[in-house]
Amino acid sequence: MSHLSEDQLDQIIAGERAREQAPLNEWRTIAARAREEGLIRESQSRTSVSRQPWIQAAAAMLLLVGGIAIGRTTIAIPSSAQAIAGRGTREAGSVGVSGGSTTNGITSFASVDDASATLERAASDYQRASAFLAANSSGPTTVDSSGIYRTRLAALDKVNNAMESALRTAPHDPVINQYYLATMGARVATQQMAARPVGLALRGF
Amino acid sequence: MPFDQLDLKRAIAGDERAMQRLWSQHAPHIDAVVRRLCGDPELAADVSQEVWMQIFRALPSYRGDSQFGTWAHRIAVNRTLNALRKIRRLAKLETDIEDDSALTEQDTDRTFLAESIDKAMARLSPGARAVFVLHDIEGFTHGEIGEELGITPGGSKSQLFKARARLRKLLAHLVDESIPVGKGKAHVAPV
Repeated sequence: MSHLSEDQLDQIIAGERAREQAPLNEWRTIAARAREEGLIRESQSRTSVSRQPWIQAAAAMLLLVGGIAIGRTTIAIPSSAQAIAGRGTREAGSVGVSGGSTTNGITSFASVDDASATLERAASDYQRASAFLAANSSGPTTVDSSGIYRTRLAALDKVNNAMESALRTAPHDPVINQYYLATMGARVATQQMAARPVGLALRGF
Repeated sequence: MPFDQLDLKRAIAGDERAMQRLWSQHAPHIDAVVRRLCGDPELAADVSQEVWMQIFRALPSYRGDSQFGTWAHRIAVNRTLNALRKIRRLAKLETDIEDDSALTEQDTDRTFLAESIDKAMARLSPGARAVFVLHDIEGFTHGEIGEELGITPGGSKSQLFKARARLRKLLAHLVDESIPVGKGKAHVAPV
């Protein structure tokens, strides 16, 4: 009976040590177990979905439109502010002109990147404008208006909860993601308004 | 793509993509040690799942004192040995390797060197295989092996001697297949 020498065995062992081997399981098997144990959090998947550029763009647009709608329907807006709000809306719409072309007041875009960049700028401008108005608006606000904001916040919380529940069921659904983000945006805007001291009014934007 | 600290934080937070990157990078080595220790591919696949769950569960405790691969490797060894203990494959760890019946068996599949090695290691007793894999392949010292397996360093050396002797017999058929052997190559594993 022949034997390998010690050197020959060491040579084989060295080869074995360096040998690449395929994983014993597929990732989906491991992931399923991890998900069962709660080690993979669905909210992370949801976050990753919302990072997709088109979702971001849609969210920015909804945030903008939702915020404007909230602003325009806010109580205690003097009628003269309607014009200001209209101007603000037009200004918000004109933000993106530098990223596209404007014909008869209608902006068109050459690419998805152009449109996305415009939306990002518009959303950013909207947020800065909201912050500015919350800090600088003057005029009468009533205690009642604070109550309305609180009521609106409570309603938005309920909507938000419903959206979160829907997202757990369908985390990749783009429509649900859009509504979720829009609700979050509206909630933030309302919080800003509710946080203003009584006695200050949002005149419009 | 290397697994960095940001990925680690994301994996701890439950980010599936970060966890998958971690798994992709380390599974070949981690699963290899599991496979060698188990000796049975089906059992190894099951144990590997447990190993990876334990790695993910323990991620928050990883302090970065050692390489991530080293840290995960230690978990893999511990978890695999625990699994083997549970199924009583290490019950007779210190028993002699006396079953030489395999010496007369012809290995019908000699196509691949790797398969021959896998089969030869699978024929070792669980204890001898564990000592051989940990010492000669994974680089553990006999002291470390003794701690892992609950035996003395001397017992580990004895098991290794017997394991190597048997492997030299089980792999003898490879002599005729012109395995290139380095001249004067020293024993590479730690003592």
